[in-house]
Amino acid sequence: MNNSKEQNEKVGVYICRCGSNIAGIIDVEGVAKWAEGNANVEVSRENQFMCSSTGQELIENDIKEIGLTRVVVASCSPHMHEKTFREATERGGLNPYLFEMANIREHGSWATNDKEAATQKAKSLINAAVERVVHHQPLDKIPVDINPATLVVGGGITGITAALELAEGGNKVYLVDKEPSIGGHMAQIDKTFPTLDCSACILTPKMSDVGNHPNIELMTYSEVESVDGYIGNFSVAVTKKTSYVNDKCTACSDCEEICPVSVSSEFDVGIGTRTAIYRPFPQAIPNTYTLSKTTDDSQCVAGCPIHQNAHGYISLIAQGKYEEAVGLIVADNPLPGICGRACAHLCEDVCDRGNVDEPISIAYLKRFAMDKVGDYELQRPENEQKQRVGIVGAGPSGLACAYDLRKNGYQVKIFDALPTAGGMLTVGIPEYRLPKEQLEKEIGKIKDIGVEFKLNTKIGQDITLKELEKQFDAVYVATGAHEERKIGIPGENQDGVLSGIKFLRDVRLGNKINLGENIIVVGGGDSAIDTARTAKRLGAKNVTIVYRRSRKEMPAAFYEIEEAMYEGISIEFLTNPVSVNGNNKVQEVTLQRMKLGTPDDSGRRRPIPIEGSEFDVPCDNIIITIGQRPDIGPLLLKTNKWGSVEVDQVTLQTSRKKVFAGGDCVVGPDTIVGAMAQGKTAAESIHRMFQKLDMYEGREKEGAYYSNIKVDLDGRVIAKRARIPTIPLEERDGFKEVNLGFTEEQAQREANRCLHCSICCDCHLCETVCQPNAIDYSMEEETVFLSVGNIIVATGYQLFDSRRIPQYGYGRLDNVFTSFEFERMITASGPTEGHIVLRDRKTEPKRVAIVHCVGSRDLNYNEYCSKVCCMYSIKFAHLVHEHLPNAEVYNLYIDMRTPGKGYEEFYHRLLEEGTHFIRGRVAEISDAASQPEEEGKLMVQVENTLIGKQQRIPVDMVILSAGMEAQADSAEVSHLFKMGCDSSGFFNERHPKLAPVATMTEGVFIAGACQGPKDIPDSVAQGGAAASQVASLIGQGTVMMEPVRASIREDDCSGCRICNNLCPYSAIEFIVDDEVSEVITALCQGCGTCVAACPSNAIDGAHFTNIQVISQLQGMLWDVQPEPEKANA
Amino acid sequence: MSDHYEPVIVGFLCNWCSYRAADLAGTSRIKYAPNMRAIRVMCSGRVDPQFVLTAFINGADGVLIAGCHPGECHYVNGNIKTMRRFLLLKKTLTQWGIEDERVQLLWASASEGIHLAEKVNAMTEELRALGPLRWHEKVLGENGKVPVAVKEA
Repeated sequence: MNNSKEQNEKVGVYICRCGSNIAGIIDVEGVAKWAEGNANVEVSRENQFMCSSTGQELIENDIKEIGLTRVVVASCSPHMHEKTFREATERGGLNPYLFEMANIREHGSWATNDKEAATQKAKSLINAAVERVVHHQPLDKIPVDINPATLVVGGGITGITAALELAEGGNKVYLVDKEPSIGGHMAQIDKTFPTLDCSACILTPKMSDVGNHPNIELMTYSEVESVDGYIGNFSVAVTKKTSYVNDKCTACSDCEEICPVSVSSEFDVGIGTRTAIYRPFPQAIPNTYTLSKTTDDSQCVAGCPIHQNAHGYISLIAQGKYEEAVGLIVADNPLPGICGRACAHLCEDVCDRGNVDEPISIAYLKRFAMDKVGDYELQRPENEQKQRVGIVGAGPSGLACAYDLRKNGYQVKIFDALPTAGGMLTVGIPEYRLPKEQLEKEIGKIKDIGVEFKLNTKIGQDITLKELEKQFDAVYVATGAHEERKIGIPGENQDGVLSGIKFLRDVRLGNKINLGENIIVVGGGDSAIDTARTAKRLGAKNVTIVYRRSRKEMPAAFYEIEEAMYEGISIEFLTNPVSVNGNNKVQEVTLQRMKLGTPDDSGRRRPIPIEGSEFDVPCDNIIITIGQRPDIGPLLLKTNKWGSVEVDQVTLQTSRKKVFAGGDCVVGPDTIVGAMAQGKTAAESIHRMFQKLDMYEGREKEGAYYSNIKVDLDGRVIAKRARIPTIPLEERDGFKEVNLGFTEEQAQREANRCLHCSICCDCHLCETVCQPNAIDYSMEEETVFLSVGNIIVATGYQLFDSRRIPQYGYGRLDNVFTSFEFERMITASGPTEGHIVLRDRKTEPKRVAIVHCVGSRDLNYNEYCSKVCCMYSIKFAHLVHEHLPNAEVYNLYIDMRTPGKGYEEFYHRLLEEGTHFIRGRVAEISDAASQPEEEGKLMVQVENTLIGKQQRIPVDMVILSAGMEAQADSAEVSHLFKMGCDSSGFFNERHPKLAPVATMTEGVFIAGACQGPKDIPDSVAQGGAAASQVASLIGQGTVMMEPVRASIREDDCSGCRICNNLCPYSAIEFIVDDEVSEVITALCQGCGTCVAACPSNAIDGAHFTNIQVISQLQGMLWDVQPEPEKANA
Repeated sequence: MSDHYEPVIVGFLCNWCSYRAADLAGTSRIKYAPNMRAIRVMCSGRVDPQFVLTAFINGADGVLIAGCHPGECHYVNGNIKTMRRFLLLKKTLTQWGIEDERVQLLWASASEGIHLAEKVNAMTEELRALGPLRWHEKVLGENGKVPVAVKEA
């Protein structure tokens, strides 16, 4: 204890007994007497309640009469009464900051039963306070002007109430809600307990008031991004999400009627559907439509190299809008029917439906639409351009390039060496897969829009690239890969050894081929299968495919392999030819067995020959299909080390500026869409070159990419993919098309399996019907900055997810419903128009069980009581009685909690209505019948604790009264507003009893269910309370802020700038001229981090200076301090 | 106090989270070791390493620094700076032969009264096992100035 009186301060020490709260444990008299021993202490007193007016007067009088210069009160936490005693000190005539508090209750008497230790601790804390207070300096609070504008976050009934209260008082209010409409959960409810008022009838007038109020700026579909500043001066960034609908919308609903998308409705919580462009409910405020559309494309669109809008045409097919579907298909793709038949459909590989059951049959749906509509028109240019483009190669790449260029009005001429257009489509794909007529029709359509063709013209032979460069403003080279590779085995050059690609070409062009009866095909790709099936059709008796790896590694499409085997083609896996034997004419082939080793660069396991496993097989022909390569020679373009044309990876420009190249001659043998994508990329580059645009900007999403959309796959009903019908085996001797195409019924069912991952399918039909032109697909997200003085957070709650309790069967058992599903069902304007029906939408239940406390009062989920469930469960029981007078209703409760005005009376009313109330927590809900009469029922297993017996109650419908939970993002939101939340995620109020709507952050208030479970009247009351607190601050105009701020002593500052970057508020500035740092007081929040970091001790943290804290520390350790330090202290 | 050894812990508690956690522990009448004496700071970032050394010099057996959980700091990230300083400080103290248990860092939110109480209990027991710090004998040399470790080196 300090006995030296160096400061000449007269300290008054007041120790509170707090009834027995402190005095019951701590020897208050003893401590008071002991404190007098400190040389700085002038007077030491104890009092029953220091916070009482007598206690406060004691301080005031002593200051006046004894001339105290400092005051210490030892009582409760400073968070409780620091303000009280500072005011008392001030009334006595001292600066309020010449006061210090010792917390001997919360940190002392309440925290231990050890009287001796508590008394010792109290002495330490009081001595510390005395030693500290002598170093206190008078401080003045900092005045801050209050901006009268207020931000209300959350447009439920609480936010609506708060906003209206403030706006009525003449203050500007910004009301932000993340949903497209305000209304919150209350808008979803049918009737309110206990009065059975129609929820919408009492809510919607308030919603319209908000919409029409001149002082309220409504910002729906928006979210608060960041909050800066402090009470009176907050700067808030609000992001307005893209609604794609501008304020011209008249809510006529034309768009909703034409939209082909159907997804689960958030407002009707799963029992109803909505379209992509939608209005949550008819009374929505603001009464406009919103288009929900993700930034990334649907998986199928993103995964397609040409971004064919598959999601769009699938949605339209599902609606029977085939013409529109075709319009959408041909907008991206000049070879629609061809792709519908022969595309590798990469879209199906990434289709999210595949994660539920099987991917949607996307390619065949396209074929269906094209076949169904029959005739179509490709898009024609709006304006003709004078630039001419020459394209070398009439394959898919060249044709796709030609179409895109022509759409932009350029003059296009295509050259090809073959006598027919189509490239590999014609000479690489057999007719039984892709009929000649289809090809001719689609090439005809390309001719129709003005693309010229010059066939039988080989580049380097009939015309040179140089000549083309002269004749055209740009050239696109897409000559493909038509050279078959050789295996490199002895005897490969004999008669009867054929190249697969040449074989297919000869068959297609009608050239004469001598084919024997026994054919061996070498290879495992699609062309091996095509070759084998073609050979079979030409009359070969035995066709065998020889592939060096196993079936798992085989690159050919799965269904193609199936079809080949069905047609009688045998496949020898893990086999490779080692030599071809014969006398200038093939007679037999020596094959060798292989085994699989470690994976190679392609990720497939490497085949390793098994020594001594060779065997001979007699044959008439060997057809080699081990891959093609481009023949670049005659082009005279720069090539890379793989022998392909070297191009810029983004623009496809070659070493010659006007010449672009793409497709198989650049990337090697690839899919049809892969080649088309390159054609489209080249068309874009050529267009940019002609228009003198940036060649590289914004091209990241060209070609296939991975879409980041995540779809909720839970609870989807399994529906298998439709199988394409085929012609019978006996009809497969010619080249008749094998696949028949979907029937209309098949196609519709298949299209309806779509999950609509990006929600909007980009069909733009809504745009075409919107008369006021309110739909704007180019709309972008916008960030708005608001200046406000106060913030009210009323973000509400979310319903407990009943799927988390698997034994209740929600999501698994059809007729288990959640409370909100029931609310929407019982609402006259809801999806069932107010009829209580089972999931089949027809059957009325005869017995209904209502399960209380789902997810509440349960240590496994939420320990707390959700407060509203008992009451709404009773309401449900009443509504069931009312709608279905003959139904039996069981309410299964743990305890009935009905406190509130009229609540208990309502419960009694239900007791008289004949509801069965059974006390006990439901153990399980199952559909497993143990007796014949239980068949088809849901069995509710419960222990009836009032009679002490287990019961099994058969019912038709179960309603789970799920509890209230904090919003999933409440932790992030609490950080945003610097509030803090409890372990359940509900926001912390400043004081549980006395400051229920204030938070730890001045100027930020909370109201409603975001603070804890509440019913409507409580939420409304809190909304009003928060508004009145804000109104009070606005009325004051100025508030006084704690003067806890840092300041830098210029003389001591070395200019090291360590503090500059430490400050989270950028409140420290370096003055270059003076080479010192300076604190901007208005920005400083007083944390003291810079004070602790300053190596020169040049920063003072007001009210937390080094000398104050160190004195407090030394005073605190009076009883354990070693002798030399005591002398120093 | 009797001959019985009771360690003394100085607790630096931040105003927004951990001081309130200690308040809550009291309000909830959670009983825990009375060995910690709390000093309120606005942010754990205010805890200057010299405060910790001063506490030891003046006879404390241990120091507990408590702040808001990372990401929940009232002053954005003061607690992160505390953590950085804390690690450096520990390194220094270890070199002087001061045991790890004597300086501890705790994240306690305003609702975690029980968490704070448990930590104080655990730390008290750890320090009881270590015995008194005896800074003057352990760290300072005969002339009371030079750290032993430095002298030996």
